[in-house]
Amino acid sequence: MASSSTIRFQVESALAHRFPSALTPPARMVRPVVPTGIGPLDELVQGGFPVGAMTELVGDVCSGRMSLALSFLSQVTAAEKVCAWIDASNTFNPAAASAAGVDLRRLLWVRCGVSETVSEQETRKFTLPPECFTPKPVLKGLHGGGHGTHPRNEVKGLSAAVGKFLSDETVRARCAEPFSKPRPTPQTFEPNLRPSSTSVRTPRRGRTYDAVEQALRCADLLIQTGGFSAIILDFGEIASEVVSRIDLSTWHRYRVAAEQTQASIVLLSQYACAKSSSELQLRLSPLEDTNEERTVFTGLSAHVEVMRQRFTQTPSNVVPMRKPPQRAQDARWTHRASWVGPR
Amino acid sequence: MTRPPELYACVYVRELPAQALLRLRPELHDKPCVVLEGEPPSESVCAMNTRARLHGLRHGMTKVEVETFENVMVLQRSPKIEAAVRTILLECAGAFSPRIEDRSINGLFVCVLDAAGTEGLFGPPLMLAKHIRQRLRSVGIVGSVTISANLHTAVCLARGLSGGVPVRVVPRGEEAKTLAPLPVTVLGITEAQDETFRTWGIRSVAAVAALPERSLISRLGQDAKRLLQLAHGKHPHLLQPIDVPFVLEEQAELDSPLDDLESLLFGLSTMLEQLIVRARSRVLALASVTITLRLDGGSSHERTVNPRVPTNEKKLWLKLLQLDLEGHPPNASILGVHLHAEPGATSKVQLGLFSPQLPEAGRLDVTLAKITAIVGEGNVGMAVLDDTRRFGDFHIEPFSITTAEPPSAATASPMCLRLLRPAERTRVEIHRGQPCEVHFRSRRYTVERVYGPWLKGGDWWNESIWGNEQWDVIGKAVDSSLLVCRLSHDFILKDWRVAGLYD
Repeated sequence: MASSSTIRFQVESALAHRFPSALTPPARMVRPVVPTGIGPLDELVQGGFPVGAMTELVGDVCSGRMSLALSFLSQVTAAEKVCAWIDASNTFNPAAASAAGVDLRRLLWVRCGVSETVSEQETRKFTLPPECFTPKPVLKGLHGGGHGTHPRNEVKGLSAAVGKFLSDETVRARCAEPFSKPRPTPQTFEPNLRPSSTSVRTPRRGRTYDAVEQALRCADLLIQTGGFSAIILDFGEIASEVVSRIDLSTWHRYRVAAEQTQASIVLLSQYACAKSSSELQLRLSPLEDTNEERTVFTGLSAHVEVMRQRFTQTPSNVVPMRKPPQRAQDARWTHRASWVGPR
Repeated sequence: MTRPPELYACVYVRELPAQALLRLRPELHDKPCVVLEGEPPSESVCAMNTRARLHGLRHGMTKVEVETFENVMVLQRSPKIEAAVRTILLECAGAFSPRIEDRSINGLFVCVLDAAGTEGLFGPPLMLAKHIRQRLRSVGIVGSVTISANLHTAVCLARGLSGGVPVRVVPRGEEAKTLAPLPVTVLGITEAQDETFRTWGIRSVAAVAALPERSLISRLGQDAKRLLQLAHGKHPHLLQPIDVPFVLEEQAELDSPLDDLESLLFGLSTMLEQLIVRARSRVLALASVTITLRLDGGSSHERTVNPRVPTNEKKLWLKLLQLDLEGHPPNASILGVHLHAEPGATSKVQLGLFSPQLPEAGRLDVTLAKITAIVGEGNVGMAVLDDTRRFGDFHIEPFSITTAEPPSAATASPMCLRLLRPAERTRVEIHRGQPCEVHFRSRRYTVERVYGPWLKGGDWWNESIWGNEQWDVIGKAVDSSLLVCRLSHDFILKDWRVAGLYD
C-alpha cells in the first residue's frame, strides 16, 4: 500500500500543470515587525509596523496620527532602542510623548523650519513704578507738625507766624503778575504687557518649503548614520500640495536605506505621497468623540483602514473555487486622555 | 632591595627655534629656512634647518647677508612657541622616566632622564635611546640621545656628537675613553679657559685628562678640578627632578591673514595629529578640543567641540571643528591658531550579541553637527521636561545614547495634543459664556462639544495674574471636517488662539 506521502506526490504531479505544488504548504517568510501597542491595529496589520520598511499614516488634521506614532515609539524605546522624530512643522509635544510612555532620553527630536523665537507670556505682570509704594510725606501744618502732643503746643510759634504773614513782603500787592505755579506733570503707568522678544516673521509659504527641505535632508543623514530603529517623519501639519511635490525618488531612496539599516520609517502626512515605496499604508479617519462624560474630556475614538500592505501571507497557494473569507481591513480603538483613569 | 646602578639618558635637541617653528609646517621641510632674532635692523640668524646649512648659511648672519641667498625662507623667532615645544619635549621624556632634569639653555633643548632600572620596561640602554628618539620624531622634532652611567658624560657626549650619529651609549667604565677624542669645548668651558687651552695647544678632552691635577688647579683655579673630573667622566651630580607637565596644547602663527576656513583645516589637521599622538602615548583620547583663533584687530574667537565619547579619530575631529566653525565663523581674518585639548579615557564599548543596534558614537556626532548646521542650534537634541506646567515646559539637551532602564511602554493608547508654535490666532463666537463657533484656517466650525474652561498660568505668591483660560473644543465644519483643539483665551489681550490640535 502506498504511503500518504507517495499519494500526495502523485496527486501533486498530476495537477502540476494546473496548480504547482498544490498540496505543499507555501513557505512562510517571517518579516520582522514592531508592535504599535494598540491591540486592534496590531491584529489588523499582522503584528505591527514592518522593520526595514516604510509605513505611511495618512489622515486629516485631528485624525490620531501623532497618538498612533507615539504609541509605536513607546514600544520601540521600551526595547532600549533609539529613535528620531523629524518635526517638519515644529508641533511635537514632549509632555504628551512622555505621557504616552516614550522614553525621551532615547528620542532624538529635530525641529525644522524654526526661524523665529516667540516667547509666549501666559502670566502677565502688572507692575507699578516704585514711587507709588513710597509713603507720601506728612503735610506740615502752620505750626510745623499737624497734630501736636498737647493743645497748648499748637499755638507755639503762632505769634511769629502771624508777624511773618503780616510782613511787607507778603502784604505787598502783586498787581497782574502772572501766577507761576508749576503745572503737575501727568504720570502714566504702563503695564508691562508687551512681549519681551520681537519676532521677525517670514512668509508662511517660504517657511513651509524650507522646513520640508530641511526635514528631508535630516532624514537622509539619520538614515545613513544607522542605528536608529525608528524614524518618524512628521509632515502632519504640512499641506497636501506641498508634500505631493516631493520627488518619488526621495521615498524610494528612503525605502532602500531603511532596508539596509533595518530602520522603521513612519511617515505622517495628509496625503499619501510615498506611493509604492511604502510597505504599509494606513488611512486614519477623523477622530470621534466618545461622549462618555459631559464635563470632562475623556477621549476620542480612532478609526483606521489599511489602504496598502505588501507581502501579506496567503493561506494557501491553491486558488479556491469559492470566494475565500476576506480579512478585515479596518480597526477601531479609543485614545484616552492622560487625566482619565482606566475604565 | 638593592638600588639599580646609575644610568642617565640625555636628550639633546639642536636648533630648537627653527625646529619649533617648522614642526607643524611639513611643506617647509624641503626648503632652506632660517630663524632671525633681535630688533630690526640688527637681526641675525639664531637657528636654521639642515637645508639652509647646506646652502652655506651660518649662525650670526645678518638679514642682509641672508637675503643674498636665493629661495631662503626667513622666519621670526617665537619664544612662545619655543616654550610650548619645550613643554612637549619634556612631556615626551616624561613618558620614559618620572625623574627628569631640564638643562636647556638658549636655543638648545637639553634634558636628562634618570633611566636607572628601566631595563625591564624598555630593554637595554640602546633600545631605550632608540625609543626616545622615535618618540621625539613622532612629535616632529629631531634630536640625539646619549646614555651613560655619568650624567655629565652623557651631556658632554651629546654636545660633541656629529656626523649624523643620533644615538650613542657609553659602556660603563669607558666614559673617559669615549670622551677622549672630542674637542675640549664639549666640557662647557668659558671663553677665557678656551683661550688658555688654545695657547697651551690643548685641543681634545684626552689632552685635558692627561694634565696633572695640582698644576692645573694652580693655573686655572678650582674650576680646573671640575674640568678634570668631567674629562675623566667622573664628575658627580645630584639630579634635581622637575614636575613633568601634561598639557595638550598646540599653537601656530600664520604667515598672512587667512579668511578661508578650508585652508585653516590643513593646518588644524597637523596640529590635531600631534595632539592625538601625545594623548595616545598615554593611552588617552581627546575628550574636548578648544580652538582659539587670534583675529585681525586684536580680538579672538573661541569655540569648543565636545563629542559624545572621547575619540582619537582625526577625521572626526576635523569634521566636527569644520562644522562648528562654519556655524560660528570668525568675524575677521585669522592671524594665529591655538588648540587646547582635554584628555579623556579611551572608551571601549562592549556590545552584546542580543543588545539592540545603536548609532555609532563618532558617526552620530558628525550627523548631529551636520543637522545642527541645517536646522540651527537648539533645534536638535533630546527634550527634557521641566518641573512646571507652563507653556514651553521643556528644554533641549544634546543627544547622547543612554544605557538607563527605559520606562515601561504604555498599555493604553493616550490622546496626544499637537502643539502649535506659535499658537494660531482665531476668531471665536461666544454663546452663554461658551464658544459656539470657531473660525480656524479659513473654515467655520460649529462647536459640538466643549469642555472647560480651565484657568492656566499665574502664581499665587507674586503679582502675576491668572489671565489665561483653556477650552477643549470639538467642532465640525459644513463639509463635515472635524476640529478637536485646545482653545486658549487671553483675558488681558482679549484674543483667542488655538494652542494645539488633538491628533
